[in-house]
Amino acid sequence: MKLKRTLNIIFRHVLLTILAFIWLVPIVWLLVTSFSAYPGPNNSTFFPKEWSVQAYSKLLFGADSVSQFPNWFKNTFIIAIFSCAVSTIFVLMVAYATSCMRFKARKPLMNIAVILNLFPGMLSMVAVYFILKTLNLTNNHIGMVIVYSAGSGLGYLIAKGFLDTIPASLRQAAYLDGASEFTIFWRVVLPMSRPIIVYTVISSFLAPWMDFVFAKMMLNAGVSSQWTVAIGLYNMLEKSLINSYFTQFCAGGVLVSIPISALFVIMQKFYVEGVTSGAVKG
Amino acid sequence: MEQKTSSGVKAFFGGIGGFFKEFGEAVVKGDIWVKLSLIWMGAGCIGRKQIIKGILMTLLEAAVIVFTFGFAMDYVPKFASLGTVQQESVFNIVTMQNEFNDYDHSFMILLLSLASFVVWAIFLFVYLRNVVNAYRLEKLAKAGKHVNTFAEDLNSLVNKKFYITLLTLPIIGIVLFNVVPLLVLILVAFTNYDQNHMPPSALFDWVGFRNFISLFGGGGLTVSFGYAFRKILVWTLIWAFFATFTTYFGGILLSMLINHKNTKFPKMWRTLFIITIAVPQFVSLLLVRNFFANNGIFNTFCAQIGLTELLRNLGVISTSYIPFLSANGWAHVMIILINIWVGVPYQMLIATGVLMNIPTDQLESAKIDGATPRQIFFHITMPYMLFVTGPALVTDFVKNINNFNVIYLLTQDVFVTTDQAMANSQAKEVDLLVTWLFNLTQNYYNYKMASAIGVIVFILCAVFTLIAFNKMIQGDREEVFR
Repeated sequence: MKLKRTLNIIFRHVLLTILAFIWLVPIVWLLVTSFSAYPGPNNSTFFPKEWSVQAYSKLLFGADSVSQFPNWFKNTFIIAIFSCAVSTIFVLMVAYATSCMRFKARKPLMNIAVILNLFPGMLSMVAVYFILKTLNLTNNHIGMVIVYSAGSGLGYLIAKGFLDTIPASLRQAAYLDGASEFTIFWRVVLPMSRPIIVYTVISSFLAPWMDFVFAKMMLNAGVSSQWTVAIGLYNMLEKSLINSYFTQFCAGGVLVSIPISALFVIMQKFYVEGVTSGAVKG
Repeated sequence: MEQKTSSGVKAFFGGIGGFFKEFGEAVVKGDIWVKLSLIWMGAGCIGRKQIIKGILMTLLEAAVIVFTFGFAMDYVPKFASLGTVQQESVFNIVTMQNEFNDYDHSFMILLLSLASFVVWAIFLFVYLRNVVNAYRLEKLAKAGKHVNTFAEDLNSLVNKKFYITLLTLPIIGIVLFNVVPLLVLILVAFTNYDQNHMPPSALFDWVGFRNFISLFGGGGLTVSFGYAFRKILVWTLIWAFFATFTTYFGGILLSMLINHKNTKFPKMWRTLFIITIAVPQFVSLLLVRNFFANNGIFNTFCAQIGLTELLRNLGVISTSYIPFLSANGWAHVMIILINIWVGVPYQMLIATGVLMNIPTDQLESAKIDGATPRQIFFHITMPYMLFVTGPALVTDFVKNINNFNVIYLLTQDVFVTTDQAMANSQAKEVDLLVTWLFNLTQNYYNYKMASAIGVIVFILCAVFTLIAFNKMIQGDREEVFR
């Protein structure tokens, strides 16, 4: 029995090690290639033949017509901040209205939201592009903020699920004390929704960093200083550019991944906190 | 569920019916102020001394009238024809320059007419409300009850009617950037808006169902579209099926492997796997694409260990490299495998969250009854998982139908189709419907076909979701796991 258990433990750990190895090989390759002295893709050996931090110094301080990383980072950061603010406010407002208030149009509105959510944003992208073009907002950061945050109210379900778990008796006590609905929203419900607020803030902040499709469509007039990190790095892998920029692509990938991973891990923690309490009690 | 939806629908239409009944009653029985508010919005308010509200309503009516005659009327009358005056360059003798005539822009007509319809629809609702409200006010005043002052109305917006304050802005955002685009897309699917009919230099027109017919294989010239559509549709469904189920079960297995009591350092293992999803997809997928490139490092490695040689001797490949992402068949398998790499850690996280919440009393009583781990897995863990994550499974499937990133980032510029019929309709064997749609619009300006595809994808997603949800919710098991 004991032997069997030991074997089981060994087997598990060997299996996990193999799996972890497979999962980490590309990431390690990204990391080591970013320290290569050769600018193109290294196709003969896993580790670079010569090590150097050249790619990082070029990326950060030697901007040229193709590589504008500091600009891209700044653009993405600005877009992310604004769309995060708008999305978070929208999501929380919709979540509060649908979770804590009762009115006639509530159910119909929620059903409409379900149907609209079925329609992938990807598909209407073309039409969104035309609308923004009519408003002269393509190739423009305001347009990007609108794209990321205007429809964000539809993503209210997770937050609503969380708000549903806040006991109604708390709100009722506040009513009895003469608090207005706004006061309850602001003073009672929001302070109790920390996990879900953090989750919403981080996830909407991350969207512009992760997004590729909308950015590529909206910022298509090739002014590279206006781009976001995603399309900038994608552009480095064009056939004519890859041999001189692949290492910089890797370096850029590493640089954006570090803050994103950190935020991602925090978000996951709050997600589990928020969602599991939401799902199970509800 | 069936009953619930039907009663929901009934309540919905009942609500609308009730609204119109009250409107009719207001028109017939209302006094002079109510009748006046039929043509002068806000009359009802002013009649009951709600001066500010009345003025605001009047201003709104004036604004809509100005909008209608100053703006909407330039476009809406042309909606049926989508414009008749082609753009032409005319020499103007006065300015001695070539100038454009007063031409029609088909897309602007379409878009702005639609916008006008939306504005009018909202206005109609407000207008009906205005009459009904005037009638309600009249009844209140006659009964000698208190009529709200403007300050009280404002106050109710942070109290009883706080939801109006909360929902207005988000709904405007959704209408403008979700609903209107959606309607535009549907309308464009019934036009011939493509490279040969590009506004402003050319007009486009309504064509009825012609785009859908050519998508389903009819219509002589575009027969290749039907062929490409069938192929891509089949691959999209195969892809969505495998992508969903491999990552789902992979995630559950991985999380059980990590969270087992015999596994040391579960946190460390979990973090190792999470690292892959924390790297943005456009970085990790583009990287993997180069990792498996025809002359990439993995091919070098395969050549070194003799795998390439072996496969060539077996006649599996005819090239000097293994075409992981550039040949039919190979690419399909690789995409699914790479997607496992991308998707499993994510599902593992979700599964971990759910597994931690399995009611332990059930597990314990099963153990006491002498159930084997296998029995526990198949009779308790899996049913519980399916119950909690079932709806998510459906949404995952729909998401995978539209999984743009994985396909586009892995195969764009790498995979070149050798099938002439596919190439004729600008498609590739590895394309999903959405990537095809994207390429059609981005590179070929074929908006009519892209929109038709978009409509089909929507129908597809909607049908899957509805069927799956109905199946899953049938047999009321909501209480089983409580």
